[in-house]
Order: sequence, then structure tokens, then C-alpha cells
Amino acid sequence: MRRKFGPLTILEYICLVLLAILFIFPLFWMIASSMKPEAEVYNNMDSIKAFLPSFHPSDWFISYKQVLSRFHLIGYIINSLFYGLCVAAGSVIINGMAGYAFAKLNFNGKRVLFGLLLALLIVPLETILISQFTIVHKLGLVDTRLAVILPALAGAFNIYLFRNFFMAIPAEIIESAKLDGANTWQIFLRIMLPMSKPAVATVGTLAFIGSWNDYIWPLMVLTDKSKFPIQVAITAINSTEPVYTNQVMAVLTISTIPLILIYIVAQRYILEGIGGSGTGIK
Amino acid sequence: MIKTGLKGNKTVYTFPGTEKETKNRVKWKENVVAYTFLGPALLLLLLFLIIPAIMSVYYAFTDYYLLTPDMRKFVGLDNFINLFKDPIFLKSLANTLKFVVWVIPLQIGAALGLALLLNKQRKANTFFKVAYFSPVVMSLVVISVLWLYLLNPNEGIINNVLTYFGVSAQPFLTSPKQAMFTIVFVSAWQGAGFQMLIFLAGLQNIPGDVYEAAQLDGMNKWQRFIYITLPLLKPTSIFIFITTLIGAFKLLVQPMVMTQGGPVNSTMTVVYYIYQTGFTDRMVGYASSIALLFGTIIGLVTLAQRKLVKEEDD
Amino acid sequence: MKKWFLVGISVLLIFAAAGCGKDKSVSSDGKQMVTMWVHVSDDSEEGKVYKKRVDAFNKKYASKNVKAKIEFIPRSGNGGGYEDKVNAALTTDTLPDVITLDGPNTAAYAKSGIIAPLDDYVKDQDDLLPSIKQQGTYKDKLYAIGASESSVGIYYNKKMLKEAGVDLNTLPTVDNPWTWDQFMALCKTLKEKYNKPAIDMQLQSKDEMLTYALTPFVWSAGGEIISKDGTKAEGVFNKKPSVEAMTFIQTMLKEGYTTRTPVKQAFETEKYPMKFSGVWTVTDMKTNFQKVDYGVMPYPVSPKTKKLVSPSGSWQFAMTQKSENKEWSAKLVDWMTNKDSNLELSRTIAALPVRYSSEKVLTKEFSDQMNVFMKQLKKSGHARPVTPAYPQVTRAFQQTIDDISFYDQNKNIKKVLDTRATEMQAAIDKANR
Repeated sequence: MRRKFGPLTILEYICLVLLAILFIFPLFWMIASSMKPEAEVYNNMDSIKAFLPSFHPSDWFISYKQVLSRFHLIGYIINSLFYGLCVAAGSVIINGMAGYAFAKLNFNGKRVLFGLLLALLIVPLETILISQFTIVHKLGLVDTRLAVILPALAGAFNIYLFRNFFMAIPAEIIESAKLDGANTWQIFLRIMLPMSKPAVATVGTLAFIGSWNDYIWPLMVLTDKSKFPIQVAITAINSTEPVYTNQVMAVLTISTIPLILIYIVAQRYILEGIGGSGTGIK
Repeated sequence: MIKTGLKGNKTVYTFPGTEKETKNRVKWKENVVAYTFLGPALLLLLLFLIIPAIMSVYYAFTDYYLLTPDMRKFVGLDNFINLFKDPIFLKSLANTLKFVVWVIPLQIGAALGLALLLNKQRKANTFFKVAYFSPVVMSLVVISVLWLYLLNPNEGIINNVLTYFGVSAQPFLTSPKQAMFTIVFVSAWQGAGFQMLIFLAGLQNIPGDVYEAAQLDGMNKWQRFIYITLPLLKPTSIFIFITTLIGAFKLLVQPMVMTQGGPVNSTMTVVYYIYQTGFTDRMVGYASSIALLFGTIIGLVTLAQRKLVKEEDD
Repeated sequence: MKKWFLVGISVLLIFAAAGCGKDKSVSSDGKQMVTMWVHVSDDSEEGKVYKKRVDAFNKKYASKNVKAKIEFIPRSGNGGGYEDKVNAALTTDTLPDVITLDGPNTAAYAKSGIIAPLDDYVKDQDDLLPSIKQQGTYKDKLYAIGASESSVGIYYNKKMLKEAGVDLNTLPTVDNPWTWDQFMALCKTLKEKYNKPAIDMQLQSKDEMLTYALTPFVWSAGGEIISKDGTKAEGVFNKKPSVEAMTFIQTMLKEGYTTRTPVKQAFETEKYPMKFSGVWTVTDMKTNFQKVDYGVMPYPVSPKTKKLVSPSGSWQFAMTQKSENKEWSAKLVDWMTNKDSNLELSRTIAALPVRYSSEKVLTKEFSDQMNVFMKQLKKSGHARPVTPAYPQVTRAFQQTIDDISFYDQNKNIKKVLDTRATEMQAAIDKANR
């Protein structure tokens, strides 16, 4: 592929880099602040040193050691991983199925249900917290892991997203699959999902991040601390006096890194299709 | 021969067991299949979203005080009458509208711009994508501590830079006039990476040969953008517009963490007010009525918007 | 591929469903369970102390038919999370036997019948500090007992004051406090020397800290936030003493002695010479900012009344109305706040004592700075207003401070107070119906 390496490209790169700095500096500050003694965090605030770890490498992991010894993070991290993976996988399947129905299947009440779906986007989740808890309680699910996972699985936003993606897949492919004898479920699993890798990756990632960052709901439905996710620990660390900023930054770094990693992996799938193989049609 | 319907002026007849009747039977089967696919999502939404929302609608007509759930009484329209007399509610409505009007173009524009920039093959793209997306995964605690520091009216870096260039230091989050705009900027900054992701996915769906053909036809970059990219991006754009719009209406966390609704209620949003009334003040009945009224308003706005920009399908 | 998917999901779901609810009212050895929720994490120092005390309780009463169980529900900054959970449990009738609650919530919880009076079970109340009793009493009945106390004082950087020419021996003490005017004179000296605000009064906090730290100024001037019987705010909050207190705060801002937007940790990093903060900063200084040589001085007082008033209040233990085992629940509440528990807690997290007996012991152990706090508390601690409408009352107060801090737009302090008092009154009327 021929590449023009002219002044426009240089301008592009300058833009990209400046924007990158604009968006990523908090991440750097967080990581740098976790790698220095507490006093330095505030002393360095008005200089470029705020974005650099301590000049003494021996200070780098003090806060990590301290916070890991003060709080039992490993168990919480495993819980968060478990919830995140369940919610991500479940979201993709359940919302994907519904999105497929809206996109490609015919049924009575389609318009009404779709309108209902959009209406549901409006409901602010914080206002129905207690009602949701009442239902979880009536279902006998209080203090179970299921109570954390189930309410997070179906989402109007994700169904809408899948529906849009599936709509872009041409009918011919489905027709030819039907002629080959595939039933609807097989079409869904073998054709729709693989061809919508961007949507799958997006929904999976967002569902994972949402579950990972949730604090109020898990706290509300769980009492057994062995089931708590890491956000509960983070909030506790952040409000248990004395609050040490560098330790807070350390635990936040620990909790943000997995999200970044997942995003790096996921976005590759989202961008699969560079060069025109997006929908596979030539 | 059975009469099966009307087509224009003509009455249509078919023989039993022929094509048209088969079509009707297929419709029933299709319904079953479709509802099987919808089933799990529908059930979950019903349990955890629809029923709680209906309960909330019911509460809107009661005087439900959080600590005495058993003493709840039906009070009809009392909550709504008080609502219209409530200056803080009206202020929060105005604030929310102000926020929506400003953040939508800024955030969506930024997201589209970033997506377009990254829509080329480049080895460093992964790094940039992570960079632009990072505010989305970052803890709001970190983000607000940092921005509060950067925007400090006396010693913040941003004001230091401004004064260096001869502009007077700005109060930002501590001024009733500037606070909301500052939150608009921080919100757009925080959410752009999220929409950028979706735009990128949509852009990837556009086959490359469409562009090649257009290029061969003599279209330049700008024309290709207007006549190919934008139209083909329409479903994605509509999706992003609706979801960002609704999300903007529901603004809660940024004012809660950064300004606590101040100064002087200039950053109090409707959902924040609902939270404050329902959880902090414990007046669940009143809070539910605000939620109901507000939900209706958003619903009407979304409906109007959909009618204006007709979707291709359905 | 489809098979693996289904198998995988099923396994996950089964795993998830594991851990169903068990009958919580009877323990494994057949004893009656008394469950307690606390608002801290079991990883925190405070949580560890509570766990120790519960173990000690169980050991002491091992021969009896009762066992205490503690559960940790870590709260976020203002009590969120934990309080949401209490509210949710309330709605589904699943509250434990004993809960913790923040001081100002006593009236609301008591009035709504969530917590039960302790008077029948806790007979010896004389050892409790007056501020503790004041905080936990509603309509003359004691509903809750504080686990620890706290206070606010003025931290000052000895070196910076000395260098500004201040003689440290003339600084105020609990027995000889300064008036507002004397205090402002000190601020003037410091501001002129360092060209920065003299004191960080945490005016940026916009939360309970404002009410907690600043209401004593109103009280010192002889005023009240709401009437003692909890029914009136109008004609109480907007009277002259409040105007005087607010004028003092506004003057501090106008003259630049303090600022609405302090730099974070300015005192700790020796940029500002003084800071208005709670007892908890002592631990922060000791662990992270050892280089700073600092002292603590008490609240300045109204020049008219010369009365020293300081804040008080913290989280308390209480027993729930729904508890089926009131005798033992009350005993547990008493146990968690008795002399031994209190000593253990105060020593571990540098909190102030709630009893005269523990205070006597700690005077000898605490640092000079801690002793200033303790003495100030014992002599002048004043609990926050007791009303079920507390959330609205405290918000109105915080917004009063917010309003007057914009001194150019709000020169008429009385007007601001009138507006806010009316708001408080409306909320109180509604709550007392």
C-alpha cells in the first residue's frame, strides 16, 4: 500500500500525540502517584514531576506492599474477574439473541417492543435500586453471586447495539445458509456472531467494565465479604481514615490495569476488517 | 377456495394448502422462534428493569418515606403539584438542558473526529486507542481529584498557563457561571473514547472498495466523507446520538463527585436531584414523581427526534 | 463450539447459584445468634478492633445461649453504600439485631421505629460523656451509644508561625481560648508574611464537614441552628448570633485569611501555616508528614460571650426494633462501647474516648496534640442538631456557607439566613407531622 509521507502526515501525528496526552495524563498521574511516598504526591503537584514516579526506585512499590498487607485484595480481584466474565459472556449471548430477533426475525409486536426498548434506555438505574433489591429479595437471591450477575445481563443499550450491527448483515448470507439447511440458532451462532465481532467485542468489553466498576449494587445484595468485588475494597480504602493517596492510587492502578488489558485485546476484534473485509462482501 | 384478503380493489382467493396459507403458518412459527430468542433478555428486563420501573411509577403517587415503608399512603397528584412549585427542580431541569445542548455536539464531534483519525492503518494505533479510551475506564475519583487540582482557581496548572498568556485566571468549577460548562468539557473528554469505539466499529463496516470506487470517480477526501462516510454511518450515528442524548439527560456522577451540585445549585441536575431527594432526604415518593415526569420528558424528546430523523428500518 | 458454550455457561451459573442463603438466626452449635453490621471493612484497623471485641464478647458469654456475629459492610465517604444497604434491609424486613449509624441519623431512625430505646437495658449511663448522650438521645430516651468521638481543631505549623514573629507561648489553650478578633489578628500577620491564605478551613468540602466544623461558631455566639425541642428553625437560625458567626466567616474570606478553594494538602506540605481539621489528621501527619512540627489550638470564641464550643459526634451502635433478642442485643451495644472497647479503639485509630473512665486513662497516653482535642471535647463538645429532617437541615446550613462565601453577591447575610431558615422549617414541619 503506497504511503504518502508528507507534511499532512506529520500534522496528523502531532494531532494524535497531543490528543493522546490530553486523554491519558490522568492515567500517568495515577500510576506515577502510586510509585512514590505520600508526601511527594502533593509536593510534586505543580511540576512535571507529578507524572513521574519517585526518583528513588526503592520507593516504587512501597505503597503496593502497604496496601496489599492492609487489605486482602486478591480475593476481591478474583471475585471481580468472575463477575466480569460472567456478565460479559452472558451479555453477549442474551443481548445478542434479542438483537438478532429485532434485526432479522419477524414477529408480532415488534414495533411495540422496540419502542419499549428505547423507553427503557431512559430509566435512570440509580432510582430503582431499592425496588430491584426488593425483587432480588423476593427471589431469594440475597447474598448470592447470582444476585450480582443476573440484573446486569440484559440491557436495552446492548440489545440496540446488536440490532444495529445485525441489520447490516446482508439477507443473502442468511438465505444461502437457510438453503444449506441451517436453523435459526445455528445461523445465530455460526454466522451472525462471528460476523459481528466488533459488536461482540464492544458489548463484551463494556459489560465487563460496567460490572468491574460497580460498587453500590454488589454492596447492597451481598453481606458475605468473601463475595465482595474489588470496588468495595477500593471505596473502603478511599474512605477509611487515614487515607493515603499513594495507596489509593496503587489499588486503583491494580484495578484499572485489567480493564486496559481487556480493552487492548478487545479493540483488535473491533477493528478486524480493516481493508474492506468488514462484512465480507466483495 | 377461501377468501384470504384484499389487495387494492381486488379480493384475493386462495386454495387451502397453497402458498399464502403456508405463509401464515410460517408466521406463527417465526413468532415462536423470535420470542425464544427474545425470551431470556425479556424475562431479565421484566424482572430487573420493567417491574422496578413500574413500582417507581406507583410510588410517584404516594408519600413514601424511606424509613417507614409500611406507612406509605396514596396522595394522588400532590407530589406533582409540589414539583411545579419547586425552584430547585426547575433549576435542575434548566441545568440539565444546558448540559445536554452543549455536550452532545462536543462529545459526538470529538468521538467522530477521533474515530476518523484512527480509521487508517498505523502501527501506533493501538497505543492511541488505549490513550483515548482511558478516561472511560479510569476511576472517577482519580479523574475528579486531578481535574479539581488542574482547575484550581489559584494554583491550578491551567490557570497558570492562561495567566502566562495574559488571560486572567478563571474560577472554573467554583463559579456558578462557569461550573456547568466546565463539567460539559470534562464529561465530553471522559465519554468521547466510548463513542469513538462505536464509531470505529461502524466505520469498519464500510467496505473499502466503496471508497476506492469513489476515488476512481474523482471524488476528493472531503466529498468522500460527505457523500459516502456520513450516509453509510447513519445507523451508527443515530444510535450514538440517541444513546448519548439519553445518557446526557441522566447526568449524575460528575456533578455529584466534582461540585456536589454547586456552587449555588448551578450544577444540580435532575437525576442528581432525584438521588438527593430519594436517598439523602429519604422522600422516595417525591423522588419517584420527579423521575416519572422527567422520564416522560426524555421520552417525548426522543420520540420527536426519531420522527425527525426517520430510521431506515422499522 | 455451541456445546462448549452451553456447558461453560451452565457451569458458571451453577457456581453462581452456590452459596444460597442459610438460616441466620441459629448458629451451628444451636445458640441464638445476635447479628451486627458495622460500616467498616474487616481489613481496616477499626474493623479489626470490632472483630476482636466480638470475639471477646463470645468468650465471656460462652456459657450462655448466645453468640454474636459481625458482618462488615464498608461504606463510602458520606455513609453511602452502607446506609443504602440498611435502607434496603429495612424495606425487606431483613435488618440485623445491631447496627451502626452516624450520629445525626439518630432522630430519623428513632422516630421511624427502626432502632429501639436502650434505657431499660443500659442502666449505667453516667460514665458516658455528655456529648455522647446528647447525640444518641431522642425525645428523652437513649437510642444509640457512640463508638468513638471526634473533634476539630486548628493545626498550626510551629516553624512558620515562629518565623512570622509569633510567640508560641501566647497561643490560645482550651482554658484560655482566643476571640475571633484575636484569631484574625494572627491570620493577618501570617498572610502578610507568606502572601498566602493563613488557614485552610476546608471550605471546599461542600459536605457534612462544613456543618460539623462550622456550626460551633453559631453556638459560640449564643445561637442555635434549630430550637432545642426540634420544632423551629425560623426565628432560631436566622437570629443575630448566626449573623455574627457568618460575618466572621465572611470576613475571613474577604480579607484573604482563608479561601474557598484551598490547595489540597496545603498545610501538610507547608504551604499554608494553619489548617482547620479533625482528629484524624493527627495520624496522617504522624505517618506521612513527620517533618512538620505542629501544634493544635482550640476554636476561637465569640468576643461577646467568650464561650468555647467545639463539635462532637461520630458513628454509634444501636439495636434494631425488629430484633428478637433485645436483651442480648442491648448487651452487645453496651459491650462494644464499654471502657475496654473504647480504650482499644481509641488507642488503635487515634479516636477520642466516649467515657470519662477511658478518658482518664488516655490522658496519660495521648500526645500533646491529642490531649488538646480531648480536653476541648470534654469541656465544650456540642452535638449536632437532633431532628429527623437532619439531611435537609444540614444541607441548608452547607448552602448558607456556600452562599455567604460569595461575599460580593451576598452582602446581606440576614437575607441568606432567612431563606435557608425557611427551607429548614419546611423540612422540619414535614418530618414532624
